[in-house]
Amino acid sequence: MSSPTASTPVEKVDGFSRKSVRKTKQKRAQSSSQYKIQGKAVDLNPLPLLKDVSSTEKAALFQRKLQQCCVVFDFMDSLGDLKMKEYKRSTLNELVDFVAVGRGILTEPNYPEVVKMVSFNIFRTLPPSESSEFDPEEDEPSLEASWPHLQLVYEFFIRFLESQEFQPSIAKKYVDQKFILQLLELFNSEDPRERDYLKTVLHRIYGKFLGLRAFIRKQINNIFLQFVYETEHFNGVAELLEILGSIINGFALPLKAEHKQFLVKVLIPLHTVRTLSLFHAQLAYCIVQFLEKDPALTESVIRGLLKFWPKTCSQKEVMFLGELEEILDVIEPTQFVKIQDPLFKQISRCVSSPHFQVAERALYYWNNEYIMSLIEENSAVILPIMFPSLYRISKEHWNPAIVALVYNVLKAFMEMNSPLFDELTATYKSDRQKEKKKEKEREELWKKLRALEIKKGVRKGMQS
Amino acid sequence: MLKTSDRRKDAFVIYRTGVWGKSREMIGIDTQGASSEILALVNQLNVQLEQEPKYQPRINGLKVIETPHENGIRMTVQLRELEVKDLLSLSQFFGFSTDAFVLATSLLDRFLGLMKVQPKHLCCVGLCCFYLAVKATEEEHSIPLASDLIRISQCRFTVSDMMRMENIILEKLHWKVKGPTVLNFLRLYHKLILNCSSSERDKMLNLERLESQLKACNCRFIFSKTKGSILALSVLALEVQTQKLHELTETIESLRQHSKINDHDLLHWRARVAECLAEYSSSRCSRPSHKKLKWIVSRRTSRQLQSYHHITPLPTIPEASTCTEREP
Repeated sequence: MSSPTASTPVEKVDGFSRKSVRKTKQKRAQSSSQYKIQGKAVDLNPLPLLKDVSSTEKAALFQRKLQQCCVVFDFMDSLGDLKMKEYKRSTLNELVDFVAVGRGILTEPNYPEVVKMVSFNIFRTLPPSESSEFDPEEDEPSLEASWPHLQLVYEFFIRFLESQEFQPSIAKKYVDQKFILQLLELFNSEDPRERDYLKTVLHRIYGKFLGLRAFIRKQINNIFLQFVYETEHFNGVAELLEILGSIINGFALPLKAEHKQFLVKVLIPLHTVRTLSLFHAQLAYCIVQFLEKDPALTESVIRGLLKFWPKTCSQKEVMFLGELEEILDVIEPTQFVKIQDPLFKQISRCVSSPHFQVAERALYYWNNEYIMSLIEENSAVILPIMFPSLYRISKEHWNPAIVALVYNVLKAFMEMNSPLFDELTATYKSDRQKEKKKEKEREELWKKLRALEIKKGVRKGMQS
Repeated sequence: MLKTSDRRKDAFVIYRTGVWGKSREMIGIDTQGASSEILALVNQLNVQLEQEPKYQPRINGLKVIETPHENGIRMTVQLRELEVKDLLSLSQFFGFSTDAFVLATSLLDRFLGLMKVQPKHLCCVGLCCFYLAVKATEEEHSIPLASDLIRISQCRFTVSDMMRMENIILEKLHWKVKGPTVLNFLRLYHKLILNCSSSERDKMLNLERLESQLKACNCRFIFSKTKGSILALSVLALEVQTQKLHELTETIESLRQHSKINDHDLLHWRARVAECLAEYSSSRCSRPSHKKLKWIVSRRTSRQLQSYHHITPLPTIPEASTCTEREP
């Protein structure tokens, strides 16, 4: 069932097509891959409430309710089975409340039932995207239609995992690698609410199931690598990165080689993806956490960022500058000295960018106290790198706000290291004069050549 | 046939023996040995020395600034020095010549010597002096708009305020704006030395370097209380001493005598210049300045700046140090 898309002709604004004009604003689309074979009506016998039975019977009743909830309904058919859908919903609700407070219901036989119920409900092939050119930045996501049930299932599972009576040693027989694989696939859901729950679920599983940790990390690696190098399409990158953030935060020192590899081979290349804006905050957080754990990684991280520095996408450049500032906020002075040269060469280019947001963001670094103190200590190296572009744009930039910011920066430099500043000004001026002289000479040469041409032409004309 | 170098030397010997007589004009000099260029320079020097006192700040007026508690207002030496530093930054930012800056400082000092200025007006006074100096020394096309000056220097007054202040300043200074400044003297002395010395070592007296040194001195208040000619000669004398150009000491001495500068004074101010320059080269950052610079960014960028702190991270999962994390 595809939703209607009003096809307005693609407008060209300044020669670039406006993607967002293509679709008219429509109500949030819903889709689901759960469907029902026609004809067979669902009929569930209503069971008594858990609170009404004696404590000895609670465990068995619990199990039966779980089994009932294994039946899946078709929500795309908005009129069918309404009574039964409501029954399931209230049962699920009851289970959610019960699993957190109930005592003695998490018996060993109930574990496989819980996992089975959850699996039946959540594990499904995700419906294909509404439009083949779904742009996660621009378009509204299509939501899961069976969310009224699905949400309760997730809620239930989380409380189950967090329950005081929960025992990973029993659960690990049922929450196994196959379960994890299917769970990870669900992160590609377009529905952000689902992904949020999945994030919590996986976070708790990672916390409790030590035996699955290495597997989970490996699978997440695979997902990311496929995302970066093959498909550039996966909706759950931000959520996975959030989980990774909490994992990285808990790394033991010294860092294992596996983790360092992950940083260099997976996290840094993630910066190259076109849709970076969707998960950049989480990615930057992960990077900074890594560097706080092991500052010796700073050099390779910054070199990696500089290698992948965006050349044509200004929005990304601004993001990179933001991330870089966060890294510099926690950098150690010894590490700073190692990368200051290539770093400030890049900043110097950013500062002279004709895109005012990039220039503005780069200039704003000088408002950061800690970065200023680092620059001060190394002004003899940094000032010569920054000076030419700063001085040039103070004269040439089109944006007056940028020029005003450049004044702030130059003034700071002047006060930092006046003798060096004077020297650089003098060198710059003499260089400019030399350039002008060269240009003049070149022009003279061309004039002479032209004169020669004319002479030759005249001579030829006279001969023929 | 006298060689050029010999002729120069002879010419200078004539100056030393004071053939001019009591008046400062070069009447009756034996011009055969002296080049016309040197004559012109000396003439110029005499004119400037004569005019100098009219463009000096009133020393008594300046002394009042040094004792702030007694003068009833809160203008201090430090405020003046900071203001001059701001003007220096502006001058370097806009790429103006040293003339503009030096003239601006001179105007400012002269005004401060005549009028009691409230600290809150110092910014306006300073900027007006600067603008007057720029208009007097720079070419038409390099002169920025007054509104641009105000915007860049982040001052809080309007263009009409500035115009009014300009009138006040010009009135008080009797419309005498362009006079011989310490920079003029420095250049003149420098040219004279180059012309009169015969050795090749005069190339070591780099004018650009001297001008930067002069700029550094200009920022210090003590030098406002002495004559420009004395300061210029002191800077040169110090450079000659530092670069060990001993053959030029004679020339310096002659110039000193000609400019009627006391030997004791020259030594004194040369020492002050040395102190000032030592501090200038060694100075680490002199932040925070009295005026914290405003960082105005566009709305989009300020939104970006705030967006990074909205993630509430998930609870940390500590890594187990045992081998239980291996794949089964």
